[in-house]
Amino acid sequence: MSVFAIHRFATSTDAQALRAEVRAFLDENLPEANPARRTNCWAVLDPDFSRRLGEAGFIGMLWPKRYGGHERDPLERYVVLEELLAAGAPVGSHWIADRQTGPVLLRYGTEAQRRKYLPGMARGELYACIGLSEPGAGSDLANIRSTATRVEGGWRLKGQKVWTTNAHDAAVMLTLLRTEHGSERRHGLSQFLVDLDLPGVEVRPIVDLVGHHEFNEVFIDDAEIPEGALVGVEGEGWTQATAELALERSGPERYLSSHVLLASLIDAAGPEPDAVLAGVIGRLAAELWTLRQMSMSVAAKLASGEDPMVEAAVVKDLGNSYEQALPIAIQAALGSEAQLADGSALAGMLAMLLQSSPSFSLRGGTREIMRGIIARGLRLR
Amino acid sequence: MSEQQALLVESAESIFESVGEATFAEAWTAVEDAGFGILLVDEASGGFGGDWADFYAVMREAGKRALPLPLGEMVLGTWCAHRAGLEAPPGMASIAVEVNGEVRDGHFSGVLQRVPWGRRVNAVVAVASGRAWVLPTHGARIEARTNPAGEPRDDLHFGKAAATPAAVDVDLWLCAALMRVGQMSGAADSALAMSVEHANSRKQFGRVLAKFQAVQQNLAVLAAEAAAVNSAGQAAALARDRDPAGDGAELEIAAAKLRANMAVGTVTSTAHQVHGAIGFTEEYPLHRLTRRLMGWRSEYGNDRYWAERLGVRVARLGGAGLWREITRRSDLA
Ligand SMILES: Cc1cc2nc3c(=O)[nH]c(=O)nc-3n(C[C@H](O)[C@H](O)[C@H](O)COP(=O)(O)OP(=O)(O)OC[C@H]3O[C@@H](n4cnc5c(N)ncnc54)[C@H](O)[C@@H]3O)c2cc1C
Repeated sequence: MSVFAIHRFATSTDAQALRAEVRAFLDENLPEANPARRTNCWAVLDPDFSRRLGEAGFIGMLWPKRYGGHERDPLERYVVLEELLAAGAPVGSHWIADRQTGPVLLRYGTEAQRRKYLPGMARGELYACIGLSEPGAGSDLANIRSTATRVEGGWRLKGQKVWTTNAHDAAVMLTLLRTEHGSERRHGLSQFLVDLDLPGVEVRPIVDLVGHHEFNEVFIDDAEIPEGALVGVEGEGWTQATAELALERSGPERYLSSHVLLASLIDAAGPEPDAVLAGVIGRLAAELWTLRQMSMSVAAKLASGEDPMVEAAVVKDLGNSYEQALPIAIQAALGSEAQLADGSALAGMLAMLLQSSPSFSLRGGTREIMRGIIARGLRLR
Repeated sequence: MSEQQALLVESAESIFESVGEATFAEAWTAVEDAGFGILLVDEASGGFGGDWADFYAVMREAGKRALPLPLGEMVLGTWCAHRAGLEAPPGMASIAVEVNGEVRDGHFSGVLQRVPWGRRVNAVVAVASGRAWVLPTHGARIEARTNPAGEPRDDLHFGKAAATPAAVDVDLWLCAALMRVGQMSGAADSALAMSVEHANSRKQFGRVLAKFQAVQQNLAVLAAEAAAVNSAGQAAALARDRDPAGDGAELEIAAAKLRANMAVGTVTSTAHQVHGAIGFTEEYPLHRLTRRLMGWRSEYGNDRYWAERLGVRVARLGGAGLWREITRRSDLA
């Protein structure tokens, strides 16, 4: 019995050549940064870097050229993503637009929506955020209470979103709202594009435990949006958002977002580490290598047009656990307390990830929700 | 999976299934008649012409049924002898990769350590220091040992046994590690299947166990671990076939065996937890899988062995080098 179908990963063009291209780009453009800002790097905003990445053709890689895309194959895109993550590049500004908002618009959006948003997204200049969670709707997403009501020429919105990553930096929020008055659970929900500069929309920061401002509350008080802001079919929001989650959960960022910490440990350990450190490095490398095989398989399944929901949950769960175990294992193996505060790159990354990694098994669906999906794959529920 | 591999797996399934209750000799005859021994020998030399992915797939099927035979050892021994230009060992054969002693003037004196099923086989293919030789077991004094599953892992003592060594360029230890990963993957998948089936049939508090969320979550973890083992094993077998770095896929097999070893604790404890006391009985077949997993974890490299070997290798690559190396190898594969 298995819940994980293995798919063969093969790019249509020479992957080595593409990697070389990305690495050359990074050599040129990777900003000097505080090492801690290289960890969890898909949450690190850097509009300038995103713009240059867009210029180089590494955003919107799968999208049609008429929308500013590059019509590459999905596994080429995967190669680019893993190179960016492994290098700890600050890809946070455009990440969500490239990963899910853009693809959702290509699948469900109108021509006008595509023309309005996609070219700017592909240039690395127009960013998006995800407005799913609400105060009463976390894991239980179907408990959404924010509403959109039909009015002359459009919709009037009311409600509140929370934990909205990058809402302070994004132009638009793709959100899920209740359009059918009195509907319950998965019924009567619809997806909308809400421009964040609209009157009646207010973004308020939430500072996280590290002291960073990454997520926000978004208050919507009688904001009016045009007819054309509805995405896809009215009342089909749940199904559409579920498809969006497959994109959200299946990428390499679910195991590779703090790879720079492992690289930094290896550098700090030097070419001849003692047996304890060698053992720690070996174990972490084995997990990394295995997760990469699994993540590539998920990407290949997605690219072949199949839905890798259960496999993606497996990789997210194992990947989150690996990324949480990584700083713990390194902290446990270091020689002394001093090494945690010696100002080195390793110390900086380690201190950051010890604090930020607990969020990995929350964002994008919690550990328990992932395991619930796997259990469904086992037909236990 | 190639068509050839699908057929191979199908025949492995039916033969391994049919020998369930048979004696060792009967089971062996059935497996030998099916021609698995020559799996890795090329077709031009009268072999099956299988690759490492085929070997891995057959080992998985063997592991799923806890096949109590040194089948993989036989395949590897036959292949290794063939590579060395030696006569294929007659009848049942096993392998020895830990050799204490040497061949001098055409005779081996010493001990072949922890030979799988040493007491049952007719011959052993021993490999040490770049040389291979075949030794019939009838001249050996057998010191019986077992792994935690009760599988024979015997020390074979030889005093001046005739031996003709030949040079060979195979890292049999590495191949044997891949063999165990295949078996471990199969056993983990079966332990999962048994656990799910049990959870769906056993009732407590008026419901089947499968309806309890705590049980579901534990089984999900077990499934994820089993998936990791198979993903690693399949990728390692594929890497061995392509051998992009020309080192016999040492890095991939090291990572796969280590990852498999790391999964054993969770897989065995969770499977037993879900089963309750019935799984702790001799009669119930779960232990045929879990005890083997515990034993195989130590064989051909335990966690410490592979973690240090891999860690030393990775340290030499440097921080950026690790990523460059694993991507280069998979791109070329
Ligand atoms: C860093 C970060 C960034 C985020 N960014 C975004 C974003 O951009 N947009 C967005 O919409 N949301 C975002 N989120 C929100 C995220 O999706 C939610 O945190 C997540 O879905 C969990 O919801 P919750 O926090 O309300 O926790 P709860 O749902 O209250 O869960 C608390 C605990 O209870 C467990 N639990 C809940 N229900 C069950 C159940 N049925 N069975 C078993 N256990 C259960 C959970 O697994 C968890 O352990 C972000 C969160 C974080 C931490």
